Formats: sequence, C-alpha cells, structure tokens
Amino acid sequence: MRPFDPRLLRAAPEVRLPVAALTVVAGAQGVAAIALAFALARLVTDVVSGGAWQRSGLWVLGAFVVRAGLGVLVDRIGASTSHRVSSVLRRRLLQRWLTAPVEGRPDPERASTLAVQGASAVEPYAARFLPALVAGAVVPVLAVGALVVVDPLSALVVVVTLPLLPLFAALIGRETQDDTMSRWRALEQLAGHFGDVMRGLPTLVSYGRARRQVDVVRAVSQQHRAATMRTLKVAFLSSSALELLASISVAIVAVTVGLRLTHGSMTLHAGLLAILLAPEAYWPIRRVGTEFHAAADGATAIDAILTELTPPASSTTDCPAGTGERQRVGPSGAISRGVVVERVAYAYPRSDRLVLDDVSLVAGPGLTVVTGESGAGKSTLLDVVAGLRVPTQGRVSTATVHYVTQRPFLPDGSIGEALRLGATRELTDAHLLSALEQVGLAGFVSGLPDGLDTSLGDDGFGLSAGQRTRLALARAVLSSAPVLLLDEPTAHLDGESADLVRDLVRRLADDRCVVAVTHSADLVAVADEHVHLTGSLVQAVPA
Amino acid sequence: MNGRLAGLWGGLALTSGVALTATSGWLIVRASERPVILTLLTAIVGVRAFGMARPFFRHLERLRSHDSALGDLAAARTRVYAALVPLTPARLGRRSRSAVLTGVVDDLTDVVEAHVRVRVPVLSALVAAAFTTLLTGLLVPTAALVVLAWVLLVGVVDAAGLALERSAQSVLGAARAEVGRAAELVARHTSELRAIGAEGDVLDRLDRAHDDLGRALRRQSRGRALVTGGVLALTGLATLVMARVALGSDVSPGVMALLVVVPAALADAMLPLADAVRARARAEQSGARMEALLDQRPAVAGRGTGLLACRAPHLRLTGIDAGWVDGRTDVTGVDLDLPPGRRVGIIGANGSGKSTTLAVLARHLDPVAGRYTVDGRDVTELDLDAVRDLVAVVDDEPHVFATDLRANLLLARPDATDTDLVDALNVAGLGRWFEALPDGLATGLGAGGRGVSGGERARLALARAVLSQRPVVLLDEPVAHLDSPTATSVMRDVSTALAGRTVVVVSHRSEGLDSLDEILDLTPTR
Repeated sequence: MRPFDPRLLRAAPEVRLPVAALTVVAGAQGVAAIALAFALARLVTDVVSGGAWQRSGLWVLGAFVVRAGLGVLVDRIGASTSHRVSSVLRRRLLQRWLTAPVEGRPDPERASTLAVQGASAVEPYAARFLPALVAGAVVPVLAVGALVVVDPLSALVVVVTLPLLPLFAALIGRETQDDTMSRWRALEQLAGHFGDVMRGLPTLVSYGRARRQVDVVRAVSQQHRAATMRTLKVAFLSSSALELLASISVAIVAVTVGLRLTHGSMTLHAGLLAILLAPEAYWPIRRVGTEFHAAADGATAIDAILTELTPPASSTTDCPAGTGERQRVGPSGAISRGVVVERVAYAYPRSDRLVLDDVSLVAGPGLTVVTGESGAGKSTLLDVVAGLRVPTQGRVSTATVHYVTQRPFLPDGSIGEALRLGATRELTDAHLLSALEQVGLAGFVSGLPDGLDTSLGDDGFGLSAGQRTRLALARAVLSSAPVLLLDEPTAHLDGESADLVRDLVRRLADDRCVVAVTHSADLVAVADEHVHLTGSLVQAVPA
Repeated sequence: MNGRLAGLWGGLALTSGVALTATSGWLIVRASERPVILTLLTAIVGVRAFGMARPFFRHLERLRSHDSALGDLAAARTRVYAALVPLTPARLGRRSRSAVLTGVVDDLTDVVEAHVRVRVPVLSALVAAAFTTLLTGLLVPTAALVVLAWVLLVGVVDAAGLALERSAQSVLGAARAEVGRAAELVARHTSELRAIGAEGDVLDRLDRAHDDLGRALRRQSRGRALVTGGVLALTGLATLVMARVALGSDVSPGVMALLVVVPAALADAMLPLADAVRARARAEQSGARMEALLDQRPAVAGRGTGLLACRAPHLRLTGIDAGWVDGRTDVTGVDLDLPPGRRVGIIGANGSGKSTTLAVLARHLDPVAGRYTVDGRDVTELDLDAVRDLVAVVDDEPHVFATDLRANLLLARPDATDTDLVDALNVAGLGRWFEALPDGLATGLGAGGRGVSGGERARLALARAVLSQRPVVLLDEPVAHLDSPTATSVMRDVSTALAGRTVVVVSHRSEGLDSLDEILDLTPTR
C-alpha cells in the first residue's frame, strides 16, 4: 500500500488535470499559511510598537481571505476531483470486464465489491488524503526555508528534530506491527458478526432463534469494543507521542528565541516569526498520518483496481493458457454472415477436463441446430462462439453475434428498456410491439396496466419462464446482428408457444445465420443443418 | 451523557492550544523588552505546561470518545436488533431483505458515529470559546465581546453550512444508489450483457448515474466549503478588530500581542466543525431512515395462548385477505386446505399475492379478513411461537452464517446429533459436497470461510428444513436465482427430501411443480 500510486495517472490519464489542480490549490494553501505567519508577526510588531498598524492589518485580513478562498477551492475541487478519480476508475474497471472473457474476470461477488464499494472508497482518499499529502510535502519545506532566512538557529533546531517524527513513527509502527496484524483479523471477525447476524435475521426468526441472539449481539459488541480499544490504545499512544515530540521541539525553538530576545541579539519581529513558523513544519506531517489512517481503504482499493486494470503480461498460472484465437469478421470477410469454429478445445478455469475437445463447426445463413447430451458442452460452445469464453485451443471466426442465453437476461427496469438493450438503432414503441407480436406477447404486454413501461421488478420476477424466454427472443428479433445464437429457445414453453417460437426461429433463419442448441425434435425437424455434440467430436446428422 | 467527558477533554486540549499561543505571544513581546529573566519564569513554565497539556488532553479525548462511541454502538446494536425481531420478516419489505438489513447496519454506524464526530468537536469548541472569552474578558472586556461576536457568527455559518449539506443529502443518497445498481448490474451480469451486445447501453447508464452523483457531490461540498471559508474569513476580520481593540485599551504590549493572536489560535478549534456539520447531516438522514423502519407495528399480533398437541397439523385458509402494508390488500379470498402430507404449488403473476399467502401460512403476517385454522382452531387463539414451530420456511435468499457448517445447521434444531446433521445433508443432496469439505462439519462457511454457490446455499436451507423436523415446509421461490439445470436438480431433491410432509411451494418457474398434488393459480381473472 503506497501513499500515492503513480500507476493511477498512467492508467487514467483523464484524472491528471483534476489531480494537478488539486495539488496546485493545496500547495497554494501551504504558501498562504506561511504568508499569514509573516503578516501576523508584522501586525503584532506594529501593534506593540504603537506604529501604523492598518497596513499590516489589511495584510493579515488579506492572507486570511486568501486562505479562506483556497480552503473553499480545496473543498470544491476536492469533491469534484475525488468523484472524477473514483468514477473514472469504476468505469475503466467495468469497461475492461465488458471486453474480457469469463476467464479474465474475478468472480461476481468480488467484482461487485470492487466496482461499488471499492471505487467509492477512493473518494475520501482523493478528497482528503491527497491535499494532506501535498501540504505535508510543501508546507514543512516552505516553513524551514523561511526560517533559514529569518532565523537560521531555529531552522537548525527544526531540521534536526523533524526527521525524528517519521523515525519514531516507523519505530513504533514496527514494534506494534505483529501485534496489530493478529488483532486485526480478530477485530474483523468481531466487527462482521453484527452484519452477519442481521442479514441472517429472517432465518433466525423463522427457526425461533432470534431472541436468544440478543444477548449474543450484546456480548459480541462488548468484545468488539474491548478489542478495538486495545488496538486503538496503541495507535493513540504512538500518535500522542509524536504530538508531544512536536510540542517539545517547538518549545525548544521558543526557549532559544526567548533567550536571544532578552539578550537583545534578535528583533521582536524575527522572534515572533520563528515561533509562528516552527509549528507549521510539524503539523502537516502529523496530519498526513491521521488522514492516511482514514483513507487506507481507498489506497487499498486503488491498488486492487489498478492491478485489475493492468493484468500481468503472462496469463494467470492457475488456468490453462488460452492459446485459442478469435476473429470478428467484417462484411468483406469470406464468412461474413456465418460462424466458423476450427478444432476448438475448452477447459474451465482451474480444471483439466476438456469440456470441448477438438470441435469444428461451420454454420452459414440458415438454421443450424446443435443437439447433445446434458453436459456435452453445448452451452459452452455457444459461449465460445459468442466470445464470452476464450478457447483453450483452436480458432473461432464470426460476424457480430446476438446470444440468447438459456436463462433470459432481463434486468430491473421496464419491459421497453429490456427490449432496447443492445439496440444499435433507434427503436420506436411500434418496433417493440411488432417484435412482441412475433413472439406472441403483444397482447399480453398491451394488456398490462403500464404496457411497455411495466416494471420487471426483481430479476424479472412475476413473468413466467416462458414469457421471459419470449421477451429475450423479441430482443433477438430487434437485434441487427447477422448471427443469432439461441440456447434452448423452446424450453419452458407450452406446446402452442413452442410452435410459435419454432416458426419464428425458422423465419429468422431465412436471412440470418441462426445456431440453436435444443432438445426439441420439432426444432430439429425444421433445421437446415443438424450437428450432434458429444464433447469430443461433432457429427453432422443429415437434415 | 456519553461524549460529554470526551468533549471536556477535547475542550481542554483546544484551550491548552489557545493558551499556548496566547502565552507565547505575551512571552516573546515581554522578552523583547529585555526584563530580568526571572520575571519571565512563570510564563515560561506556562508555555511548557500548555505545550505538554495539549497532547495529553487530546490523548484522553481520543480514548474517551472512541470508547464511549463503541459503547453506544454496542447498546444501539442490541436495541435495534431486539426491535427488529418482531418486525422480521414481514416489515422488511418483500424482497432483498438482506439489503435492507445491511442498510440498517450502515445507518446505525452513521448515527452512533455522529456522537464522536459531532458532539465531541462541538462541545470542545464551546469549552475553548468559553475559556477564551473569560481570559480576554479579564484582560479587556471589549475583547471578550469581539470573541463572543466572532463565535456567534461562526455558529451562524455552521448552521448555514448544515442547511446546505442537508439539502444535498437525499439527492446524494439516490444518486449513490443508482451508481451502485448500474455498477452491480455490469459486475454481476457481464457475460449476459456482452451476449446481447448491451455494453454501450450499460456504460451509458453508468455515465448518467456518475454525472448525477458528481452534481450531488459538488452540491454537498458547498456546505463544507462555506464553513471552512467562513471560519477563516471571520478569523481575519476578528484579528483586525482585535488589533484595533488592543491599541485602544490601556494594557501592556505583551497583552496586546496576546489579544491579536487569540482569534487565529481559536480558529484551530472552529475549523473541525466543518467535518462535524457533514457528519451531522449524514446521521440525520440515516437516523430518519432507520426510525421509519423501526417505527412500524409488528405484522402479527400474537396474543393467543393456546398450545398444540399434534405434530401432524391440518392447516386451512378460508377466504383470506392479506396485505404487506396497512390499508392495502395484496391478495383476496384465498382458500387453501392443507391436510397433513399435502403438496401444493402456488403460481401466479407478479403481485398476485403468492408470497403474501405464504407469509400468512408461516404466521409472519396477520390476515385482514378470513380464517386461518390449525386443526380447526383459529390461529389467533393459539400461541404464536407454537404455530411458527410447525413451519419451516425456505426463501430465495437463504443466509449462510459466517461460522462452521455445524452451527449453520444446528440453528434449525439445537439438540441434533452430528449423525442427524449428516443425514440431513445427504437428504438435501449435499452428500458429495460434504464429503469434499476439508474439515467436515467444522468447515467454516460464509464471509471469511469457504464460498458457497447458489445451489449449495438453496440445499443448505433445505437441509435446515429437513433437520428441523417441522411438519410443514414452505418454500418461497427457492430456486429463483439458480440456472435451469441446477434449479431442476434442487427441486428434485426437494421433493424426495420432504416426503411425507406438508409442502407449499411458491414459484414463477415450472421446474419441480409437476410432482405436486395441486397447483393454486392466484393470477386474477380478468
């Protein structure tokens, strides 16, 4: 975990400008803080000497107003920059997954955590930690620089004591690290307990175990409190030690200044400046520490996201290296309207068993049906053709495909939105209704209270399996892809609907290349080509 | 009460800071007059003491505020959990209850954290302001008025900042939720989206959601920016006025210097209020959401005391009307006769009341009208727990607890032996899965343990139902989130595992419904 990962600027060039703006403003804030010290020292000197104070007074006011303005800018730019960084990373991540095959993506649970919570954790990192980091780098240097000019002796004291801060922090950190790591795991478990029990509450209630858990929740929460406080005591002790160290260092500066003042070997103005500037060298460094503590999640998330965005040059070792090829053929290609699968083999990640072994298939315009035993790899074959999986060996060439998966994909939203997904042209309601007509759903959808705007709700809940399949087929009708892949299009359908879908598939095959996996003899009967998949070989069955 | 002591310690830390700057200012000016060094000793000791006191009190404040916050969190968690028990499951919404409950966990943390992040800085700032007013008042009464006026104006700026933050909160919540949904859609359904070429559509949706979130965040940042900028600008003004007051009063040069630097020193106490304002606005929103959920009447009255002798009950619904929300009925006129061993499937379109009917049967929901009898006795006369003990529910999002497999099963029947557990796993179709587990029944599952697939999860829920030996099993969309082959094989195991029991299955899918005695279609006839 690094305070700032330069890979961020390489992986997401569009955040360079906002991050640079934030850096400049945070740096300017540091300059303003130093300027304020000068103005304040001048004002005090003028007031004490009873001289003309209005001028230096206005300088102080001006310095405060500039600091106020920069403070506003840091908050405003920080908010937009942090959002920009977080949203760019999220978008990049999702965009990458949308072009990667199954093998190149993390599992859905991890993917969702990284894209939702992970990217959001970047916000406080960019909004709070980055400005603190800049201030931590800029302000101490400026303060020491100013001190060298104003009072070299004070500068020397600061330069000698300043490195003690990170040194102490590192020493304390190393001393407590092992202890902290072992406690951390225990803490995580205790912290997660409440969420776990809460999510399981319906289960506990249904088995009459919920009320007994009240005492467990109380006990575990108290354990969590005790364990957290043990860890925090160490953390607080180290940060308080650093604060004390800084305090003592400033006190040393003050004492030497005081002595020289009584001696008369120093002017009041220089003395005031020295004690106003000295603390500016210490606090920004301590603030980096506190803000980093709060932004650590964000730094971890950035690391995980960047690692995901820049995959290692060699493919991961735990899955067989995909040497297969895939070509998307444009209109000029020889098989511009079809699919060619050449000697393709496929094994699932972390598995040696070949689901597909040396499979070849050529499908041109017309209807090609693929049959085979359950587990023969029919759906996997369609996944490979659609480019969702990269073959372990062999070649796949195809025009643009539209793939109707076995479990129809209908996200939350209206029926109209579901049908327009993936459309490459503007689709009017009339287009949608005509497609629904072809799958025999026009009457049903028109009869719904909100028609095409009817919400599909949770995971398309409420429609029968057959209706869901037919909605997905309507979307295929609307698609302009020259190749259609259909996985069990007539499963879950009653006889009448199955006949309707069979006729539809037949019609679609008149001007497109349709590859359908099916068990239905009816569909096989109207096919132009029929292949039977047995895992290791494909047999053409005379149509 | 909690947080007050932390506020006091924090106030003393800030006060030490103000005193340190003020005394140093006085000391430097006095020293420049080249007095006998002995006359400075008190001030030197003061400077050192304040310099040490600040980290010391800050340390006490940190320990105290975190401990009291964690104490509050423990108490609040226990209270909220206990309050949710009678509201579960019917008052948690009909679907995605686990998301609702996760939301409660987060909201609760926000509300309790506000104790530390709002109360402590506000109390600390007040203590420091009071001390500063007192100190300056003793030296020059007019200066106290300047400090007071300045503190009041800072209060006004804080209030304005809070109003701005508040106004952005609800938009912000909605925008964040939409970004989450869009990102989740892509992360969980990447292949399905690629299959239909919808990559561009979902990325467009994500971009729109991001734009809305960006607007909301920029709007929210106005509140914090106002407080930061306002406090600093006011400090500049206060310094200027203070210089005028110092010059106009008859005090020593050292005191003049002290007065001039006091506003700048006190600004350190006021700037953390910018974060307090944000935490407050957030906690208000979270608190309101949580109260709305907790402030509901339980969905079952449960005043009956009658007990049941028989373990093979005859359940019967006659003319049942029921609804999830008061004043609305989701299902009307349901008749269902369930003699022991009867197997019924309930189907019907969205909103036709399938889950509602099941909730009534499980005694999670009181019917609005009609009669529900067990062995001829009205359920309202019977003890609530006695009726619930007859029924095992398997829902569409069965929870796997982050503990070992044994504990995950035992909750269904605490006195079961290991042999009972393994038998239940076998019956539920998990025999082979169990054999492959590294530590058998002691294998850790859930978060931090072994991952459990959707099919395994559904079967674990089934194993719990089998183990519970409850005579009636209600399955609510048990295979809703599974792919077709898995759904078919789970439903096959359901039918063998539950042989002999009364079974009611709610499903919108056809898998496994063919072996039932009766199908009840709740779709309203138009």
